[in-house]
Amino acid sequence: MSTLKKILKILAIPAAVAVVLEGICLANGQTIISGAKSFDNFVVYTAIVMITTMALSINLNSGRFDFSLGAMAGLSSVIGAKITYSFLKGGSGSALLMLVITVLAGALLGLISGAVYCALRLPPIIVSLGVTLVYEGIMYTITGGKYLMSEVQNRSMSGFVGTWVYAAVIIASVLIFMIIVFERTSFGYDYNALKSGQKVAVATGINEVKNALICYTICGGLMGLVGMLNAARNTTINGGQLNFGSIAIMFTAFLPMFIAGYIGRFGNEKVGFLLSALCMSLLNSTFAVFSNQINATTQSIINAVLLVIFLIYLNNNHLIKRIFAHV
Amino acid sequence: MNRKVTKVLGLAMAAAMTVMTGCGSSAPAAVSDTTDNSADNAVGSETSVDQGETRKIGVLVADVSGEEALGFRNYYEKYIQNNYNVTFDYTDALASAEDEKAAIEKFASKGYDAVISLSSSDRVQQIETCEEYGIYYAVASGVLDESQYETYKTYEHFVGQVGPSNETEFEAGKEMGKYFKDKGVKSVAIYGAFIPNPMHVYRAAGVIAGLGDTYGGTDDMNGMIGQIFQDQGVDLTKVSGDVEVIAYLQGYGDTTTDELNAAIQKAPEAFISVGMATTFFAQTLSQENIPFSDIDSFTAMNSESMKNGSLEYLAGKYSSSIGPVFALVMDAIDGNVIRDPEGNAVSFTQGYLVATDAESFDKYYVNDNGDTPIFDKASLDGIIGQDVTYDDVKALIESK
Amino acid sequence: MNIKKNINRQNIIALLPLAALAVLFLIFCTMVNAKGYRLDMYLKIVFNEALVLAIVATGATFIYTLGTFDISLGASTLFSATLGVMVYNKTENIALMMAVILLTGIVCSLLNSVLASIFHIPAFVTTVAMMSVLSAVSAQIITVNGGALGGINIPSSVVKPFDNMPFKIAVLLLFFAISVFVFEFTKAGRRMKFVGGNPLCAYLTGIKADKYTILAFVMAGIGIGLGAFLTLVYTPSVTTTTASSIGMNIFIAIVFGGMPISGGARSKIYAALVGGFSYMLLNDILEIVIDSSAAYGITQVISAVFFLIVVYITGMNYKTALLPR
Repeated sequence: MSTLKKILKILAIPAAVAVVLEGICLANGQTIISGAKSFDNFVVYTAIVMITTMALSINLNSGRFDFSLGAMAGLSSVIGAKITYSFLKGGSGSALLMLVITVLAGALLGLISGAVYCALRLPPIIVSLGVTLVYEGIMYTITGGKYLMSEVQNRSMSGFVGTWVYAAVIIASVLIFMIIVFERTSFGYDYNALKSGQKVAVATGINEVKNALICYTICGGLMGLVGMLNAARNTTINGGQLNFGSIAIMFTAFLPMFIAGYIGRFGNEKVGFLLSALCMSLLNSTFAVFSNQINATTQSIINAVLLVIFLIYLNNNHLIKRIFAHV
Repeated sequence: MNRKVTKVLGLAMAAAMTVMTGCGSSAPAAVSDTTDNSADNAVGSETSVDQGETRKIGVLVADVSGEEALGFRNYYEKYIQNNYNVTFDYTDALASAEDEKAAIEKFASKGYDAVISLSSSDRVQQIETCEEYGIYYAVASGVLDESQYETYKTYEHFVGQVGPSNETEFEAGKEMGKYFKDKGVKSVAIYGAFIPNPMHVYRAAGVIAGLGDTYGGTDDMNGMIGQIFQDQGVDLTKVSGDVEVIAYLQGYGDTTTDELNAAIQKAPEAFISVGMATTFFAQTLSQENIPFSDIDSFTAMNSESMKNGSLEYLAGKYSSSIGPVFALVMDAIDGNVIRDPEGNAVSFTQGYLVATDAESFDKYYVNDNGDTPIFDKASLDGIIGQDVTYDDVKALIESK
Repeated sequence: MNIKKNINRQNIIALLPLAALAVLFLIFCTMVNAKGYRLDMYLKIVFNEALVLAIVATGATFIYTLGTFDISLGASTLFSATLGVMVYNKTENIALMMAVILLTGIVCSLLNSVLASIFHIPAFVTTVAMMSVLSAVSAQIITVNGGALGGINIPSSVVKPFDNMPFKIAVLLLFFAISVFVFEFTKAGRRMKFVGGNPLCAYLTGIKADKYTILAFVMAGIGIGLGAFLTLVYTPSVTTTTASSIGMNIFIAIVFGGMPISGGARSKIYAALVGGFSYMLLNDILEIVIDSSAAYGITQVISAVFFLIVVYITGMNYKTALLPR
């Protein structure tokens, strides 16, 4: 496949999504991005989706299903907000300090989750069930089940999401970090080897436990970042998420993950994450434009139907092509 | 061999559970197998409570994190518990009707005297379950639908309800809308909170009526709320009138921030919320300097928004507004079940208090805090006792 | 000698979920008595709490045996109950209501399997999508028809004749007996375990996985239908949150009962029953011991740690050199 054709294939989905959605908006006298504020939000949401999808895919690509992503994001942001507030009382530099602490807390939570998995040697889905409940319980205990507001409502935090620049820097940094770590380091080579053939990779001497621990740590750090972005964007953190109340966040990452997987066939999968996040963010912004016509119920139905349709295409495109070839 | 043993043991354990529970059902108090609500079945009323005995009251809650819910809880657990011989047992956030019923059954099996409900997944089921187990029951937040009240007002253990009626919710919204209309505002954004939550539907309808607008061609309460339930929200194409509703949003999810910003970009002269705005949007709206209003409660966070933010109108309840319900329940436990003049469970409507500046806010906030709630021991003592009548309770509630 | 020791150890570990249930049961009874609560009533509460979970999870065991899982079971239960209430309110026919509930459960479940089998979509992804759709559609029906009442309901007198222990126990035992029969004594049950344990090998021996996937989802659908009906028997109203906790608790129940999440030959049909009751007993014990409503977070943490410990010990037989996936 020529480079031009590859580029066209890579850009086909985001371009099609943009054209269709903008077309729908224009037909109704609206536009997806209606101003600077709208663009800021668009970029911030793109960052949230991209990073969540990357975090989900790190373990899922290796056959490790992890329900604890939302709990890690929530708990790390609660820890970050509480510690930051105790030092700065919402003063200048709060966002930066909270960002650092939240990412570190997320990484630590990820590491703990990975350590439990490696120590117990139970299927990761089971471990993640237990870890999710533990993290949710801790979050509830710290917050008393309340929304954290005063800790995250300050000028520094609103400034953090008040411009697209920081989110764009985060997107670029995470993208570069992920490409380098997963494609240019011995950890990344080991990761890919383990992903493709666990038994053979371990037999060749790859330290699977170390690799898994790093994966979980990176995943936790990324979810810390998501927790930080969500806290700043929503101006609250819901501390009362018990009984798997935190797992919904991962379901939003399925569709972009599969889109990224498709784009990854023609180019870099990590770039695919960015492009698929752009698609989801465009859809989200369109939902916002039509929020008076499309309520939350309809939005979830549309999202679910899109997921199924895309997967039907993805898993049957050879058949679809054959059918169209005969027509 | 192992599998057989395992199976046998498994069935034995399940059988043990079912036999034990089966035994339970034949015991006098376990009455779910029968429709008989006789005194034999009454768990709570079996226990004779003299004045010296600690009364045990279970509290059903759906919201454990909201400002209003926390204020209520503080009042019961810190003020009332310190001043009366009573213990309150709060449930976790009850998510469904099944959870509510199980919670009441647990209270019953613990020998509790009464249940106060701040949870509304299925009020009918709550009343029926309490009646079945002979526990006194009262509603402290919101009220029953009129037809439901008519059905259950004669139930022996249904003490009554004290809270804003649906009409009061509508009026609270209407007053809020009228406030901005009277200010000469020409364009507003509305946040419908968690419509189709009935309370929020009534408030939103009230806001539209208060703005002097119509919804689907009507400004009649029943006509409006029926349509809003059907539409699952406020359809802006149905709103018409002098004050333009230029943006509407509801719920809280991924698109909310975008919707809020889209609303802000339309430059509304006011942002009217029927609930929770002070939790979700206070910072953004204050930063954008958009006057906003809400129906919430008098809390420290809202005080901050009123003083240093752009919160301009707050309709709220005292945290101690649930005091009279407690008094009614105490009276019932002590044998004085207060009934209205027709001999039915009492139903009192409480209105909202409105603050439009820091001074009026503080009047309600400071006065209802800590050791000096509006419904303090001195006032509640006047409606707790063997000689207390319906009129005494009515007079106190209306006086505040 | 070593082999014998190993077998004995395996037998002991395999019995652990049951031992855990027995221990939890005894602790529960002791705690309730020590606190002076009514044991008979409390046992009935636990039974009611665990009943729907145990039935839906027992049906779901067939899906888990195939090595996949269904996250939409809670939403399917809600949807079945919703349609049941709607049908009753239109027809006032209880038999028709029951039929619709059961049929809806089966159809919802079948739809998952059809999407997975025919379109080759990973079953868990279809169930994620189905969960969203069914919850959303149910919410729409409930709020439009429930209006100011916040939910839809049928008169409690309609289901009152069924709200008794003998009926509920009979339903549980009947469904459990059918499940045991299909699972242990039919070719289909054995083949499901084969497909779950080694799909490639099963395929090479001529077993059509799709056929057994559909059968597994039908069994799960029956569980959903019965669960939805029993939910209505307990509380004859449906709100948008009805059965909301079932979906994830099924995972816990099945694993707690000693069944590996990967399915296959080690799958146990009684796992959901044992695990469901154990999990509810554990939660109630913690609720009684930590008798403070401020401690719900701590209760959940302890419950989760206990869950991991039990699963770790019961899974000791199956440890591999490689990290499990």
